[in-house]
Amino acid sequence: MASNIYLDNVSTTKVDDEVLATYTKLLNDYYNSDALYDGGVTVFRHQEHSRKLIADMLGVKSNEIIFTSGASEANNFVIKGLSLMHPKGHIITSYYEHSSVIEALKQVERTLGIDVTYIKPQSDGTIDPMDVKRALRDDTFLVTIMKVNNEIGTINDLKAIRDALGGHKALFHSDMTQALGKIKIDLSDVDMASFSAHKIHGVKGSGFMYKKAHIKIEPLISAGQQEFHLRGGTSNSPANIVLAKTLRLALEKVDDKRIDEYHDYLINGLKAIKGVVINSNDKGIKSLINISTPIKTEPMINALNLKGIMVSGKSTCGSKENEPSRTLEAMHIDSDHALRISFDLNNTKEDLAYFLECLKEIIEKYE
Amino acid sequence: MNDIKYDYILCRFGELTTKGKNRKDFIDRLFQNIKKRLKDYPLLSYEKQHDAIIIHLNGIDHDTVCDKLKTVYGLSNYSGAIRCARDLDDVKAKALVLIKKHPYKTFKVNARRQDKSYPLNSDMINREIAGHILRNSDVKVDVHHPDIMLYVIVKNDRIYLMDEKIQAAGGYPVGINGKTLVMMSGGIDSPVAASMMMKRGMKVECLHFASMPYTSKQALDKVLDLVKILTDFQDEIKVHIIPFTDLQVKIYEHTDTSYAITILRRMMYRIADEVCRRRHIKMIANGESLGQVASQTPESLSVIGGVSENLIIRPLACLDKIEIIDMAKKIGTYETSILPFEDCCTIFAPKDPVTKPHADKCEYYESKFDWAPYIKECVDKMETIVIKNGDTRLEEDLF
Ligand SMILES: Cc1ncc(COP(=O)(O)O)c(C=O)c1O
Repeated sequence: MASNIYLDNVSTTKVDDEVLATYTKLLNDYYNSDALYDGGVTVFRHQEHSRKLIADMLGVKSNEIIFTSGASEANNFVIKGLSLMHPKGHIITSYYEHSSVIEALKQVERTLGIDVTYIKPQSDGTIDPMDVKRALRDDTFLVTIMKVNNEIGTINDLKAIRDALGGHKALFHSDMTQALGKIKIDLSDVDMASFSAHKIHGVKGSGFMYKKAHIKIEPLISAGQQEFHLRGGTSNSPANIVLAKTLRLALEKVDDKRIDEYHDYLINGLKAIKGVVINSNDKGIKSLINISTPIKTEPMINALNLKGIMVSGKSTCGSKENEPSRTLEAMHIDSDHALRISFDLNNTKEDLAYFLECLKEIIEKYE
Repeated sequence: MNDIKYDYILCRFGELTTKGKNRKDFIDRLFQNIKKRLKDYPLLSYEKQHDAIIIHLNGIDHDTVCDKLKTVYGLSNYSGAIRCARDLDDVKAKALVLIKKHPYKTFKVNARRQDKSYPLNSDMINREIAGHILRNSDVKVDVHHPDIMLYVIVKNDRIYLMDEKIQAAGGYPVGINGKTLVMMSGGIDSPVAASMMMKRGMKVECLHFASMPYTSKQALDKVLDLVKILTDFQDEIKVHIIPFTDLQVKIYEHTDTSYAITILRRMMYRIADEVCRRRHIKMIANGESLGQVASQTPESLSVIGGVSENLIIRPLACLDKIEIIDMAKKIGTYETSILPFEDCCTIFAPKDPVTKPHADKCEYYESKFDWAPYIKECVDKMETIVIKNGDTRLEEDLF
């Protein structure tokens, strides 16, 4: 029996060998990056160099990259940091954001009197820029719409949304976690963005927020001078330093044609299995395919697991809760039978063939 | 064909008014400097002509190369060029694509025959190409102020079609006029002064005064980072670091605080002189400018600079702070310069420095201790670091 076929790369990814080696080495440089002796100064210089390389790769300035513990923190930072400055104001978001956006929004609704408009996706899974425009109010201070959805993979046209916002003063943020390393991203479309390292073969507990230099925001973690006084706490320097390499390696692979090949291969294979419905469409990233099968999600995941295949249903963060997926619900897809397959370059065609074979077998056996 | 790729970059020379040997030296030096600047691209090849240097791109991205060329002094301007067959139909087709690539409304064709045996004369070539563009696009001819001037150069085996001239850095190729020792603090001014000297064709070596432990490792790192930025203009730069603390302490012991900065700076010039002697340099430059405060008054500059036996150039002498900041931003040193670390002049800064010091009073204070051995010791203990372009001074394999 083949085993350890990992098809859940949207949830997290295998740490790249080179990244792991560098990170392990860096863990020995334990000095505090804010210390004034040589050891600390060297760590600081490496960290700032990493920041600069990241900024260069994304075409922005060094002081616009703020290291965080990941995308959830970055999302919380944006939402709470801005809400603290605009209590009772208005935020526009989509109905299918990641839980770190939705839950942070619920919190500021509850505590700061923020009013939130949730835009439903269209039937193709994308957010209509005109819906966003229609929701704008005088007191709207933030629009936050994800670039790539983590359940069915649809890509939103941020430029069109930016254009629809016109000259409105609201800041435009996007959770770009699932876009990074998969498609080209253009930060000139947005004012702020969130990113995570472990989704691009980096280490967990690492990520960053992009924020245009002139934008003022309240810190989420109030403490020392780290991160331009915006995010206190002793820097996670090993993770921050290795993030430049992580990003470089990920961006080098963005255009890899194998992903398209795998995609087409899987789609064709899935179409040939009776009872399988493909929920993803051509508006999405290639490396994620959402399907529905005649078997309920949980038994299906378990059955595949027994065969050494790892996939998930709805977003992993909600995997242990009983609520239906907001994304799938919004797209009128029955989340009880949905399955999310997300592959990457660590997979082989044989992995996919084996998956298709098992899927077929399970459906035939248990239907 | 709807996109066009440049085959060459044609580089034109800067202040090349001289003739004969000087002209040859200028071109040779510029040629070397361009090659050094582009050393990361071994696929490029070069052709040296009497009025231009032609870079054959051989598939390397045109914008990437142009970006590098921006910091080469001695280059007046450059253009992307496309190689055409010696056949007007080919030139016409490519000219049209080139024009359509830009949002230009008006144009003019400017043809030149270097090979006079070509059957059509320049006017005829101009009309042929312009006619083709007019018939196939909405762009109009404007002979006086065209948005784009299309240059056509007829050679004996090919025809070049050339895009707009892009302004380059100008000046003289670095190294053609000898060497200068630039006194380099961590501030905004000295890197700008260094780049201005380079623009005049001087190769620079830097002199930095470090006052450990009163100044930090970071302060020194900052200076080296600034020099690193300057290696975009001069591929390799020597930084001489003077351990200045002992002499500095002696100065404060023996002089009235109001004269301390004046004497300190006189000592710096003496040390610079000694370094010049050892390094065979005959010129000193720094970021001093004329102002109203302390060491910047004409009296101060005169009394301080008076101790030096070398030619002193102060390229910033007559510039406003705003102008200097603009230049620092342009050469890319500003952001690093404003990082807050103490340098050797800000520590022990007296509250009451003289604004009009007298030479005889300086000599009086200086007679109170035997400073010459300290000068020698400073230079004996000098540490020299060579900074090369592309060298991050960091552990590269982490990134
Ligand atoms: C779209 C999206 N945003 C945010 C996150 C959270 O990222 P992190 O795990 O770095 O907090 C995830 C992944 O869980 C995600 O898919």
